[in-house]
Amino acid sequence: MINIQVDGRALQVAPGTTVLKAAEEMGIVIPRFCYHPAFEPEGSCRMCLVEIEGLPKLDLACSTVVREGMKVRTSTPKVIEARKDVLEFLLADHPLDCPICDKAGECFLQDYYDKHGRHASRFSEVKEKKRKKIPIGKNLLLDRERCVLCTRCVRFLRRVTGTGELGVFERGVKAEIGIDEGTAIRNNYSGNLVDICPVGAITDGDFRFKTRAWFLKKGRTVCPRCSRGCNIVVHAVRGYPLPGRQRRIYRIVPAENKEVNGYWICDLGRYGYRDIEDNRLTAIVLKKDGGPEGMTSDWGKAIRGLASGIKGLVESGRAFRITVVLNSSLTNEELAACRRIFVDFLDLRNVFFADPKPGEADGYLLTADRAPNGRGAAALGFSPKLPDPEAPPGSNDLLIVFGLHILEHFPAETVAAWFREARITYLFAAHTSGLEQVADVVLPTALPAEKTGSYTNIGGMIQSFECAVPAPRGPLPESEILARLAAELGVKLE
Amino acid sequence: MTDIQAALIPTGENSFRLEAYLGRGGYEAARTALLTRKPQEVIEEVKKANLRGRGGAGFPAGSKWAFVPQAGDQPRYLCVNADEGEPGTFKDRAIMTRDPHLLLEGIILASYAVGVHTAFIYIRAEYESIARRIEAAIDEARRKGFLGKGIFGSGFDLEVLVHRGAGSYICGEETALLESIEGKRGWPRLKPPFPASVGLFRGPTVINNVETIANVPLIFRHGAEWFAGRGLPRDGGMRLFGVSGAVKKPGLYELPVGTPLRTIIYDWAGGPAEGQGIKAVVPGGLSAPLLTPGELDVPMDHESLARARSMLGSAGIIVIGDRTPIIDILRIVARFYAHESCGQCTPCRIGTTWIGKIADRIGAGGGAAGDLDLIRHLAEGMKGRTLCPMGDAAAFPVLSIVEKFGVELGETISRGAEGR
Repeated sequence: MINIQVDGRALQVAPGTTVLKAAEEMGIVIPRFCYHPAFEPEGSCRMCLVEIEGLPKLDLACSTVVREGMKVRTSTPKVIEARKDVLEFLLADHPLDCPICDKAGECFLQDYYDKHGRHASRFSEVKEKKRKKIPIGKNLLLDRERCVLCTRCVRFLRRVTGTGELGVFERGVKAEIGIDEGTAIRNNYSGNLVDICPVGAITDGDFRFKTRAWFLKKGRTVCPRCSRGCNIVVHAVRGYPLPGRQRRIYRIVPAENKEVNGYWICDLGRYGYRDIEDNRLTAIVLKKDGGPEGMTSDWGKAIRGLASGIKGLVESGRAFRITVVLNSSLTNEELAACRRIFVDFLDLRNVFFADPKPGEADGYLLTADRAPNGRGAAALGFSPKLPDPEAPPGSNDLLIVFGLHILEHFPAETVAAWFREARITYLFAAHTSGLEQVADVVLPTALPAEKTGSYTNIGGMIQSFECAVPAPRGPLPESEILARLAAELGVKLE
Repeated sequence: MTDIQAALIPTGENSFRLEAYLGRGGYEAARTALLTRKPQEVIEEVKKANLRGRGGAGFPAGSKWAFVPQAGDQPRYLCVNADEGEPGTFKDRAIMTRDPHLLLEGIILASYAVGVHTAFIYIRAEYESIARRIEAAIDEARRKGFLGKGIFGSGFDLEVLVHRGAGSYICGEETALLESIEGKRGWPRLKPPFPASVGLFRGPTVINNVETIANVPLIFRHGAEWFAGRGLPRDGGMRLFGVSGAVKKPGLYELPVGTPLRTIIYDWAGGPAEGQGIKAVVPGGLSAPLLTPGELDVPMDHESLARARSMLGSAGIIVIGDRTPIIDILRIVARFYAHESCGQCTPCRIGTTWIGKIADRIGAGGGAAGDLDLIRHLAEGMKGRTLCPMGDAAAFPVLSIVEKFGVELGETISRGAEGR
């Protein structure tokens, strides 16, 4: 270990640690634009200059590696002056359009200027004019006047995706981020550029002008879009009623997890946020055996109905006539409850799985297996298989289907026919699909982001997560429904 | 003065041809060294000669070579910096035009010393005919077996490649030069690592100026003592002083390191141009702080100029006549660096342009009271705070102009204000 001092406080750090990271270990955050922990130090923004005893000039915190006995000072007059100067330089040609900038509220330049800046700028010349609103691919828009030329975007596309769509063109004050004519960013990680842009130079057309960063509440969870289990943060508006058709969920961004997804997520996961919002089922639908047909929010009645249906069949020795279709998007806890109820207790023969159809792996984070918890299902002893179309589940007395992935494997009419043919059918689903028209009872469920539970990812890592965003009024997580069903049936869950 | 013999720049119409060079004893030093001396002995000889870099920083050449690690499988490279972009500097072009084989012989010696088998000569875009001449010289040398496999029958292989710049000042900065050879945008690299350990194509690399390398054969032809004896104790040999601007005889003068600036200007360059006095002198290329007429007795070596708070740099002397308004000089300096800033790091990218805009405004009669303080502050904001030495290169002359010619600039500002 190396002994150093930062602002007079002694610290031991591992050899090879940079001054910036060492300071961070002590809770001292040194401002930076170009430095990003995913990349080698770039050293170009000059924001992280600190004083190191014995050196005549200020030195970079991001790239300077600690040496035994090194004494670092992060807030001397020289350092403070250097920060003021860099910020004043950066703001000289900046359009100062924070009021209409989507980055406002989470912008490094805005935050640093507030904390470290020289508030009365001495710039009285004509500002450089540059192009704004330049489409550079997918949802991305580039505003060159806001750009501080940290080149994080360029480096991301070179080093992470290896696609290299962006580069720096021109030089001096005319230097600008650009894209070759006729090309566009089309890779599956484009959205990360918006996150790593420390200012409002790259914005997301999908988020642009929709809300302000400070209205958003952040909840961390695990992405359910494939078996990687990337850690994500869901940004949602909550806490007060939303007027009219205003959105609840605004975006999904990556949460750092070095062992899973590093600092990134793919676009499939990112733009999947609309799923949390759109086409949700919110009320229980009861068609027969549950009393008068119609919508209700009486979960107790619905679950009692299901329990009595199951009990009736078990008592008459017809449990083999019950078919359950599960899926690997259920959490470990939900699958464990299913196992306990349907396999251990009821000893059902017909327990199937209908998972998301595999896609193509992109060679980086996105896996071919698009179910988030296949490994968890396997670990619980399930060997997931689809219902056999030769012995259709429709010929049963009770059909219980969790999720809508079954529609990815069989034509909608076929599935609808099963629902029509079975004596009583239950559909657990979060979204409208058409099946709710044919199921006897429709139970609206919460989505993964609205649940507490755990998934086991492709690498076998069990990742627990808490409810990142409250479910809309109506749906319940399967875990809760199953717990209540177990209670009705007299099954003890662990 | 008569005992000084010019050695770097031969005269004669065909001095650049191989036969002419062989007639001057060319390639004998390299042949002898490759056949009879160990690489380490070559380095020692250059150290003894006290040869310091001629590009600008003045780093001792022998030490630079000695830093290159000899272990490891990575190929080592020599890059000869022929970008010659510093305003006021025109020495390397003379060497390459008149004596390209001297440079090639120097490259052979340096490559042998460092264990390099591929050397690049990075020639600026504007030196089109020079690049062709160097390429022709490489062909001549290769045909004679002076380059290629088994040079002089020694078993030492060396290829020399010409790489052309594309018109950027910053590509004369050694790490930007490496990026440019690698086919990338000419942006300086963050150091460390230094090129001696991680340089061209990540291999250990020596980067030397043309004049530095051209001096190496002289050291072996005449001996390290002879070479060291022609300069100062820690700064050996002769230098090519390029004198331009308001003098009677502008030109290139090969004189011992340490010759006083006044001697160069008055005794060699004929003194100030007809009807003019001297207002200021740039002693070592545009990035060197200006000297006033009272500071001309400074000996032209690295340490003396550092004591005079300027620098020897590339030894390009620009004499500014007293009819030239100093605001014009400030504008030229500021615009040059604003135009040539690569744009990579914040202080240089914005600072140079900002200073340029203020200088233009003052020049156009729109100066304001706080302008000089602001310029000084902006230059201080670049000095020592940029990724490469260009921040200093831009700040130094600006600071010296504002400091030493503040009175005249103040008058320019007030005149402008009266005119408004």
